[in-house]
Amino acid sequence: MRNRVREQRTQREMSQAELAASLGVSRQTVISIESGRYLPSLPLAFAIARFFGLTVDKMFDPDEEEAGT
Amino acid sequence: MKTFIRPRLRKPLGIALAGTVFAAAWAMRGGNAWWLSVAIEVTVLVGAITFYVRAGDDNDEGALASSRADERQKALSLRSRALGWNFTVVTAFSGVTAGTALKASWSWPFLVILAVAGFGYLLGLSNYGVAEEEPADDAGPRHPAGSPAT
Repeated sequence: MRNRVREQRTQREMSQAELAASLGVSRQTVISIESGRYLPSLPLAFAIARFFGLTVDKMFDPDEEEAGT
Repeated sequence: MKTFIRPRLRKPLGIALAGTVFAAAWAMRGGNAWWLSVAIEVTVLVGAITFYVRAGDDNDEGALASSRADERQKALSLRSRALGWNFTVVTAFSGVTAGTALKASWSWPFLVILAVAGFGYLLGLSNYGVAEEEPADDAGPRHPAGSPAT
């Protein structure tokens, strides 16, 4: 599953640690989500989407494979 | 009581407490090797301090050690525990089987471990809702019996 977390975060010039603190998760979890190694729970997926002002389906695309995986 | 203890201290204190209880049990046992209880206590305290120091690390192990894990880290811990449970069950089953084949008297602890693991698994299924599963809602208002789709 492809997601736009890294793209949205870099657009806002945020660090992974800042995003992690805003979402209440660890920096390692943000790294894992961005790389596609971890699929977040539904509440966390909604929290991420809300944080960036997008809908969940805009943030996470189940039809696209993560590049390099 | 848990809420009064800082998250980072909880697990190291648990380790220290468990180790102290075991060291006390060893001391109560008496005999010539009573002094080993002191060695056990020192080892446990060093281990608890090391655990406390590692709990400050900015990684998954540190987060788990300091009771500040997020959902991914909790899932990681859960999967690791499940793997540990699998190893325990396989070991216990091997012990029971070998003990049975050899007519050995030492196999009953393996049987107890196997029974406790099985009971814990069934308790988990019961607690987490499998036993309370509701019947399938096949005849809901949106899918009347004999609808054109059937």
